[in-house]
Amino acid sequence: MRTRLSYIPISDAQEGMVLGAPLSVVYRGMLSLTFPDGHALTEENLHQLSAHFAEFMCIELPDERSDEQVAVDAAASANRVMEIFNGVDLSNPTMASLFDQVLLYRSA
Amino acid sequence: MAAMTISREEVILHSTKLPSFPRFVTDILAALDDPEGSITVLANCVIRDPVITARVLSMANIASARGRYAGEISDVYTAISLIGMGQVRQITLVSCLGAFVGGVAVQGMPTTFWKHCVAVGVCCEEVALHISAPVSSDAALVAGLLHDIGQLWFYTFNPELYKKCWHQALTQAVSIEEVEQDYFGVNHSTVGAWLAEHWTLPTGIVAAIRGHHVPDSAPGDTLVAMVHVAEVLANALDLGGRDENRVTYISTAACELLELTWDEKIRPLFGRIEGRSRHANGFFPAEPKH
Repeated sequence: MRTRLSYIPISDAQEGMVLGAPLSVVYRGMLSLTFPDGHALTEENLHQLSAHFAEFMCIELPDERSDEQVAVDAAASANRVMEIFNGVDLSNPTMASLFDQVLLYRSA
Repeated sequence: MAAMTISREEVILHSTKLPSFPRFVTDILAALDDPEGSITVLANCVIRDPVITARVLSMANIASARGRYAGEISDVYTAISLIGMGQVRQITLVSCLGAFVGGVAVQGMPTTFWKHCVAVGVCCEEVALHISAPVSSDAALVAGLLHDIGQLWFYTFNPELYKKCWHQALTQAVSIEEVEQDYFGVNHSTVGAWLAEHWTLPTGIVAAIRGHHVPDSAPGDTLVAMVHVAEVLANALDLGGRDENRVTYISTAACELLELTWDEKIRPLFGRIEGRSRHANGFFPAEPKH
C-alpha cells in the first residue's frame, strides 16, 4: 500500500500509528525516550510520550487516495506554495532552493 | 513622501495604550545566567500568575502519572524540580507574552497574529537547535515571539489605516514594511525595536526585532539572522493559518551565517517546525481581553 509521511503534534497521535522516522525525546537536556522508525504506537507509548513532554512526531500514514486525488491534492499544495512565493526572485539561488524544498515537502 | 512621520517619542507615549509589558519576561531573561537566582525568579513568576501556575502544575501532574511520585502535585517548587527549569521557563515566557498580546483588544486585528508570533518563536527555537552556533534558545524564543510587536502598536495607534496597509501589501504584492513606511514614515521593525528598548529587553533581542527584515544590516549577528530566517520559514510553511503568509525575500548571508543549506536534508526540520508549531498553538492560545 502507498504511504506518506506526516509530522503531527502529540495531541493528534493515536494508538496503532506507525512512526515514519525515529522518535527521540530529550527531557531536561538528556535523551529520555526513543522509538525506532516503523514502530507502531501502543496506548502505553502514548502515555509515555505525554509524560516525557513529546510535542510532535513523524508518522507514516496509509495513503488510500486514488491517483487522481493524489494529483488534485498535489496541484492544490503546489498552487498554495506558488501563491506564498508569488513575485519572489527565483533567479536567486538561495530563494530558488528554498522554494524547491518547500514545494517538495508539500508535495510529499 | 510619507503621509506622516511617527517619532520614537510618539511610539513610547502611545505604548501606554498597550497592556503593561510583563516584567516577568525581562526578569527571567536577566536571570538566565544565574542558576540560583533563576529558580527564585521563575518560581515567583509562576506563583503570581494563576494561568501559568495551572499550566505548570498540569504538565507536572502528567509527568507524575509515570508513578515516581505518589499523589497530586500542587506546589510550584515540586513541579519545577519534576519538569525542569527549561520547560517551566518556556511555559512562563509564552504564557506571559500570549496574555500580553491577548490583552490588546483592537477591532479588526487578525486572530492569527499571535499564532504567527508563536510559529516564528518555535521556528527560532528549532533553528537554534539545528545549527552549531551557540544561541540561547530562550532569547531566540522571546525574539521570535516579539518580532512583530511593532505591528501590534500600529493596530492600536490607527486600526483602520493599518488594516488598509495590510490590504495594500497583500493585493499589490509589496512588502508590509514598504507600505508602513509610506503611510507612517516608519516600519514595524523600527517601532518594535523602540518598544523593546523602552521595555529594557536585552540588546540582542532589540537588534533582532529591528533587523528581522534587513538582516544584512547586522552582519554576523546570529539572532538577527535567526529571526529573519524563522519568519521566512513560518511564512513559507504556511504556519499560523494566515491567508497573508507570503515570502518576499531571504538573505543569503543570513543563511550562510546560520550554515543552513536548502537541500533534501532540511525537510525533517520543516516537519519538526510544523509539528511543534501546531502543538504550541494548541497549548498557548492568546487569552482574549474580557
